[in-house]
Formats: sequence, C-alpha cells, structure tokens
Amino acid sequence: MIEKKQQIYNKLGLHARAAAKLSHMANMFSSDIYLIYNEDKVNAKSLLGILTLAASVGNEITLQAAGEDEKDAIAAISDLFDRKFDEES
Amino acid sequence: MIKSVIITHGQLGRELVQVAEKILEQKLDIEAIAFDWQGDGSSMIAQLEKFIARNQGHKVVIFTDMFGGSPSNISTRFINANVEVISGINLPGLLKFFCCGEHNGHFRQIVKKVEQEAKDGINIISEYLGEKK
Repeated sequence: MIEKKQQIYNKLGLHARAAAKLSHMANMFSSDIYLIYNEDKVNAKSLLGILTLAASVGNEITLQAAGEDEKDAIAAISDLFDRKFDEES
Repeated sequence: MIKSVIITHGQLGRELVQVAEKILEQKLDIEAIAFDWQGDGSSMIAQLEKFIARNQGHKVVIFTDMFGGSPSNISTRFINANVEVISGINLPGLLKFFCCGEHNGHFRQIVKKVEQEAKDGINIISEYLGEKK
C-alpha cells in the first residue's frame, strides 16, 4: 500500500466533471484506490464518493492505493491533479 | 451489453442526459422519450416497444422520473428477466450507470448499485454535514 499527499490546483476543486475524470481514471486500475481528506476516506472509483469530500482548490488530500498496479495508479491520478484536470491552461 | 432509455414527463430526461454528457464529457448511449401530455401514452408505448425490439439480445434498463407516474406505470409492463425499470432517476444515479465501468457485472447487481447511488445522492446538507462533524 502506498500513499501520496496531493495538492488540489484547479480552481473548481473536486467538482462533478473533475470527479468524473478522476473516478474514470481510478477504474482503469485494479488496485483499491482511496482519497483521504480530513476525517473522510472515499473510494476513488466512486464519482459520488469523491463529490462528498467537497474538497476545494488549495486543499491537500491523501491518495492511497493498494494492489498490483498501485504505483502506476498513484502516478496517473497525481498527474491528473497536477494537470488541473485539463480544465485550465 | 446493457441498453438504456429514459422516459419522463416533458423533456426532463433529455435535459438530464445532456447534463450527464457534459459532466462525463462523452456522448451517452441512451434514448430519451418524452411523455406526451396530450396523448394517452400510446406513442410512448410504441416507442418503448420499438426500443426493446431493436435491442433484442441485450439487457435493457428503463429509467423513469417518478414511481406511479405515467412513464413509470407504462414502463412497468415491460419488466422481465432482461428488462428492469428504475424510477425516480436523478443525476447521481445516471452518472453511476454510465461512469466507471459500471456495466461490468451481473445485471441485477448493476441496477441495485444505480438505485443505491441515486438514493445516496439525496441529502439534507446541514444534517449530512452535521453527521460528518
């Protein structure tokens, strides 16, 4: 199991479209993947779960993955955050 | 493969699909049928019959806007081992159906997951936040 701290850079935070992209990407991996923010831990493969975090720009969350492709999963998801979900140039 | 159709009063279904397409950034494979306010439902029945005939060999989910309403009542007559109706569909439920490989699995499990996600998407926010504190 690996974890990585991740900053949210996109202005709208983990809103619907970003959550859709994130859950879509998480589902491409076999590992169990979670997002942890404050006291909440949600399944990154659940769009609605991600939305319940109500995480905004500037917040720091923890990405957690456990499974065969955990490293690739964290790298790909982290890259999506760093790219601001391709919402901003 | 699961095929889907949404049947609602007015253009509610079409709008819901358009919003889901915007969020998921993809064209969704779903047909939207609007209930004809002036009619007796026969046009809706005909459209549903055609849809199901066209998708023979597939599982079919019919989404409706409200249990007990005409779209839902008419859809109910089509229920069988391959056709299920989910009433009261909302955005979370629809997104669950189309997002994230939810079509992988047993038909019954998939419709149950969609039903649950739609229900979970309804919250009194102050109570929800209170529970989280």
